[in-house]
Parts: sequence; structure tokens; C-alpha cells
Amino acid sequence: MIQKSVQKNVVISIRNLNKKFGNHQVLEGFNLDLYEDESLVIMGKSGTGKSVMLKCLIGLERFDQGSISVMGRNMEKLSSEDLSYIRSEVGFLFQGSALYDSMTVRENLEFPLRRHKIKFGHIKNTTPLIQEALESVGLQHTLDLMPDELSGGMKRRVALARTLILRPKIILYDEPTTGLDPITSKEIVFLIKSVQQKFQTSSIIITHDVDSARHLADRMILLINGKNYAEGTFDELDHSDDPRIMAFFKS
Amino acid sequence: MQKSFYQQLKLGVFVLTGIALLVVATIMIGQKQNLFGNSATIYAIFRNTSGLKEGNNVRFSGLNAGKVTKIEMIKDTVIMISLSINKDILTHIKKDSKAAITSDGLVGNMIVNIMPGSDSFGSVASGDTIQSFSRVSTDEILNTLSETNENAALLTVEMLKIAKEITSGQGLIGALVQDPKITQSVKATLFDIGKSANEAALAVSNLNAFINSFDQPDNLAGAIRDTVLANQLKNIILNIERSSAEIGQVVRQLNQTVKNADQAVINAKDGKGTINYLSNDPDLVTKIDHTMKNIDETVLEIRQSSQLLNQNLEALKNTWPIKNYFKKMEKTSQSK
Amino acid sequence: MNYDKRSLLSGIKAFIAETGDMAYFAGRFFREVFKRPFEFKEFLRQCYNIGNRSFLLVGITGFIIGLVFTLQSRPKMVELGADAWIPSMIALAIIREIGPLFTALISAGRIGSAIGAELGSMRVTEQIDAMEVSGTNPFKYLVVTRILASTLMIPVLVILSNFLALYGSFLVEYLKGEVSFRFYFDEVFRAVKYTDLIPSTIKTFFFGFAIGLVGCYNGYYCKHGTAGVGIAANTAVVKTSLMLFIIDFVVALITDILFLS
Repeated sequence: MIQKSVQKNVVISIRNLNKKFGNHQVLEGFNLDLYEDESLVIMGKSGTGKSVMLKCLIGLERFDQGSISVMGRNMEKLSSEDLSYIRSEVGFLFQGSALYDSMTVRENLEFPLRRHKIKFGHIKNTTPLIQEALESVGLQHTLDLMPDELSGGMKRRVALARTLILRPKIILYDEPTTGLDPITSKEIVFLIKSVQQKFQTSSIIITHDVDSARHLADRMILLINGKNYAEGTFDELDHSDDPRIMAFFKS
Repeated sequence: MQKSFYQQLKLGVFVLTGIALLVVATIMIGQKQNLFGNSATIYAIFRNTSGLKEGNNVRFSGLNAGKVTKIEMIKDTVIMISLSINKDILTHIKKDSKAAITSDGLVGNMIVNIMPGSDSFGSVASGDTIQSFSRVSTDEILNTLSETNENAALLTVEMLKIAKEITSGQGLIGALVQDPKITQSVKATLFDIGKSANEAALAVSNLNAFINSFDQPDNLAGAIRDTVLANQLKNIILNIERSSAEIGQVVRQLNQTVKNADQAVINAKDGKGTINYLSNDPDLVTKIDHTMKNIDETVLEIRQSSQLLNQNLEALKNTWPIKNYFKKMEKTSQSK
Repeated sequence: MNYDKRSLLSGIKAFIAETGDMAYFAGRFFREVFKRPFEFKEFLRQCYNIGNRSFLLVGITGFIIGLVFTLQSRPKMVELGADAWIPSMIALAIIREIGPLFTALISAGRIGSAIGAELGSMRVTEQIDAMEVSGTNPFKYLVVTRILASTLMIPVLVILSNFLALYGSFLVEYLKGEVSFRFYFDEVFRAVKYTDLIPSTIKTFFFGFAIGLVGCYNGYYCKHGTAGVGIAANTAVVKTSLMLFIIDFVVALITDILFLS
């Protein structure tokens, strides 16, 4: 499962990231490098700022200090065109799928195409793109269903299809398996893996789930107290004798 | 796609219904507010509107007849009120109908009350102005009085002139005989006096009509009938009447005298010895003397009365208690 | 949201801060409403939701209000010998005050809470974030369309509900007073003037704006997870209702000054 990571281009680079919510210092000098085609898993307890970090990456959250560079662009001084470009190149799979309740699956998938047309030019017929995206998550038949009518796992898949429809180079997964039963979780994990291979994407995956991490991680970062506490492959960390690291893997 | 089209269709129906209803309401209100041709506009002029507002009701003999559509200040003492009157009712409003602003008992709103006129007058037409009871009407009366008073003053001046001419050394007869020019002038003056006297008489009869109207209970001007001012007014008018009667008498006598003189002159020319006739007729001489005295007295009287009249008029103008007027008016309408 | 734990002073401070925040929110609406692109399809969808879908509720309520109001006031009016005044009195009351205010209050309950809950749950489940990532300005897509739709649809609802209320009132008069349709509405339109209709119609646009604004504000800034959605919906209704009365008062004041009647 573990691939030796060959030194490649850095696509995301975070340096000394600080973020405070009120009096609560969530991130304190966090560093990260994501290489091309790499699958990076970040583990940490709840409320340690993992999601916040992801949102900072995509410009949904402001950070207090530090620097973030995504695909060579500095997130601090970003024109709206650049932000739009980054958002079309960096997909984001939200924690609870975040499908639009009031829209059908088709409309959900069409939604990113409405404004990110730059990437595809002006396309009249979105159906082939939608079909293709749905096929890659195995849900072609759900086109006209409402999100309500889908199970949790299906929602996750549709959400992934919605992310994929823009053909991003990087996908950020915010706890892709939370709230799912173990079997569905496993399905999603394998789906992520297949997507990574099929679309040649780099990924940052946030998770609590050791199993998911084992399957997905080329490299791992343990986030404790707002810093990267430990970094390494899954095996390296799994065999660590640091009690704080062991606490993650022996649960 | 189909679903959203039907939604849009329904939305369209919904919005259009709403707008249509609003338009209908606007038009209906517009119609009732006199854009529709079911009513005609007549006017009334008031000096004081007592808080009347546009939109207040117009009543004719207690019936709702229309609305006040416009209140316009023409000058400081003249306010023109446009009344939109229902056409069914318009025909019953005669040209001598009178409008008054009264309060609408229950709510305290002001309304315009039109009182029926007499059948001998025709119906009002759109654009007519009907008479009104308010300070303007009393003012008009006062103006008439003023005019009469001025005429009387003028009269006295003329009388004085004649009296002076007559009594100045030469004596009337001498003058008459010796200078036909003076005869002419006297004649002209006498003619003027006669005219003035007639005018005065006319004014007095007008005034009398007005005074009489004080005593009619259904007449709103009856409000002033019991006041001291009204009595004063009556006195003044009486004075004027008497004066003018006297003036008339004097004028008649003078006319007679002048005729006599004329005759005398003619006789003299005919060589019948007029001078002798004149000097030998002590009757005529005493008569003329008497007339002279009379004229003097009359002139004095007229002067006095005209002064008095002036004073009274001023008093009337300044102290006319409008509130009292309306209170009385209300009482009158209640006692009906 | 634990008001009991706060002192009065900090409560007042929070209130003022929120008023300012809401004013900023309204300002943002006015800035963004004129910016292209305009989300026309979503706007129409919201018009349909707010207008057509509320019509039944608002219409029935209006009808019943007209009916009951007439039924209640009729005996006293007859006793006073003022039964001829019933149509004009009811018409004025409905068009000037009762129609707009009741419709707006019911809409606040239905539309304000729906918007608050919808946007609140979208916020909590990160749908708003997802929208932003998808390159769509969620403020334009969600807030602008809803506030605009509410501003434009509430007046239409009020007009329809006014007419239904008058119709309800007419039915009572028809059954009890044997008054014809023609006569009743003649009386109604005789009594109502432009100075009644115009201010109360303008007022309804403000009502609609307030309903949309407060609903969107509370939903858009919803916090505290799923429980926050309920709070957002609830506060939206409470604050909108309060705001409606304030607007009503201010409009009445201005109308009084402008049309000194």
C-alpha cells in the first residue's frame, strides 16, 4: 500500500499558519507541503483546526498569520480571478456532503458549471459531463433524484462527483467517511483511491479513521495543539512509541 | 424544465392578478374621486372656511350631495371652494341656493351645507358660483352700506353748494332771473341730487330687504337679528331712509321752485312783469326761505347721520364676532 | 443566545451591534443587487415560493379576518345606527392597517421562518461554503434573490388578501344586511382615497423587505450547529414581527405628516 514518495513539485505549501477564534488559538505555526500526485492524510482530534486549515486553503476562512501558497499563488494577495481559478482547480469535498437540498442531483452537479465556465468554454450541453462524473462514482441512475432520497454513502458519492465535474488537480477531503457505516466507509475510501488514480489528483484528506488513513495515506501529518506534531508514512507513525501518537492508532 | 415552466406560469398569474386588482382599485377610487363624469363642479366663495378640508361632504337639505374637491385661496379674504355635486342632485340646487360651512354634529367634521333656493330661479349649472353665508356676505352688505354712505356724503356736498349759491347775497330769484347760467347749473345739480336720492332709495330698499331677512328664522343671517349691532344697523338704515326722504322732498320743492323761476323768466321775457310778480308774492318768498332753512337742516342731518354711519360701519367691520355668528347660526338650524 | 446569563448592559450592546450588523447586511444587499450576474432563475423560484405558496394561507386568513371583523363590529354599528358606515369603516381599516399588517405578520411566520431555517441549515451543512467554492456568490444567489422576491411578493399578497378580506366582509353584509355586491364595493371605493391606498401599498414593500432581510440575516449567519437552525428560524420570526410594527409605526407617522388628515 505504501508508495515511496518520489520528490515532485510542491502544489500546496503552508508556512507558519496561525488562526485564532476568540481566545482559542486553533492553529499555531502549522506547516505543510503537498506534492503533486501525493495523497496526504492529516489526523488530529476534533476541534484542532483541521477543517479550518482546509478552508483557509480555499479562501473560505481568513488566517491571522503565516503564508499559504496554492499552485504557486499566494492566498493572501489574491485577485478574484485568481481565487476563481484556484477554486476551479482545487476541489473540496465537504464533511456532510453539502448537497443542495432544494436541487436534484443533476442540478447539484450543474451548479459548479454555471460560473466556472472559463475552464470548459461555453458549453451548451452539460449532460455528458454530468453523466461522466456520475459514472465515475457509480451513480448514473440517480440523475433526477433529490438529495433527500439518497443514502449517506450515495450523498457522499454525488458530492464527490460534484467536486470532480470541474476536473480539479487537487481535491481536499474534509472527513470523507464520518457518519458512514464501516462498509460504506470502505467503499468511499476505495472510490477516493480510484478517483486519485483515474484523474491524477493530489489530495489532502482529513480523517479520524485509522483504517481510511492506512488505505489512503502516502504520507501523514499528526496535528496536535495547532502544530504538525509528527510527520511520516502510516507505518512509521503506527510503530512510533510516542504515547501521544500511539493514542491515535490504538483506539 | 416542464415543472419550472408551470411554476413560472402560476407565478405570472399570481402577480398579474395582484397588479390587476390594484389597478382596478386605483381606477375605482379615481372614479369616486370625481374623474368620472357623474358629477359637476360648482363654486362657492367664503372668507373663512372654519377648518373645512378637501374631501369633506357636501349636503343638500341633509342629503349627501357630493364632496369638497378643492379649496383655493384667491386673495386674503376670498377662498374659493370647489364642490363636486352629484348630477342627480344638481338639478335641485337653484341659482339662489346658499352654501354654508357647518359642523357635522356627530364627528365634528366640517361640511358644506347647501340650502334650497326658490323655484323661481333656475337650476345651477356646472361652473356656477352659488351664494354663501359667511363673513363674505356680511362684508358685502357692509360694502353696500359704505357706498350708500358715500353717496349720501356726496349728496350733502351738492346740497351745500346749492344752499350756498341760493343764500349768497343775490338770492335765488335774483340769480335765477339775472343769470340763466346759474339756472342751468342749479338744474343740473338738482338732477344729480335726484339721481343720488334715487340711488340712496335703492340702497335703502336693499338694506331693508336685508334687515327683513334678519327676522326670518330659517335664514342663517337671522343669527344677527337680536344683537345690539343689528339694532344699530337698523337705526342707521332708518336714518338714511329718513334723510333720503327729506332729500327727496327738498329736491321736489327745489324743482318746483326752479320751475316757478323758469316760468317767471319766461313771463318776464314775455313782458308780463315777472319781477313784480315775484316781489309781490310774499308767499313764494317765505316758501323759498323755508325751503332754504329746510335744506340747511337736512344737510346738517345728513352729515351727522353719515358720520354716525361711518363710525358704525367701522365698528361693525372690526368687531363683528364671527364666532358668535356661527353659534347663532347653529342655534338657528337646531331650532328648526 | 443565553439572554438570562447576560447583564442588561451587554444585552443592549449586543442589540445595537446586531442592528448595525443587520444594517451592514442590508447595505450589502443594495450593493450586490445591482451587480451582475443576476440570479434570475433562482429569483423566480423564490417568487413562486414566497408568493404562490403563501397565497392559500394568507388568502384564507385575510378572508376570515374580513368576515370576523365585520361580524364583530356589526352589532355595535347597527346599535349606533351607523350600519351604513360598515363598508367604509371596514374598508379603511383593512386597506390602511389590518390587511398589510396581518398579511405581513403571517408571512413573517411562514416566509421569514422558512428562509431563516433554509439558509440556516445551508450554513450549518456547509452548503453555503460549497456554493462559494463552486464559484457562485452565495450572497447573490441566496440572499439577494430572497430579499428581492419577498420585497416584491408581499405587496402582491397584501393586495390579494385585502380583496379577500373585503369579500369576506361583504359576505357578512350580504347575508345580514342584504347589501348588494355593487353597493358594498361602491361604498368601499367611496371611502378609500389615494392617500389611504398609496401609503399602505408602499408600506407593504418595506414589510416585504424586512421579512426577507431578517430571515436571510438570521439564516445566513446561523451558528451552533443543527440547534442553531431552529434558533435562526425562531429569531427571524420574532425580530421580523417586531420590525414590522416599527415600520408600521414609522409609516403611520410619516403619512400623518405628509397628508395631514
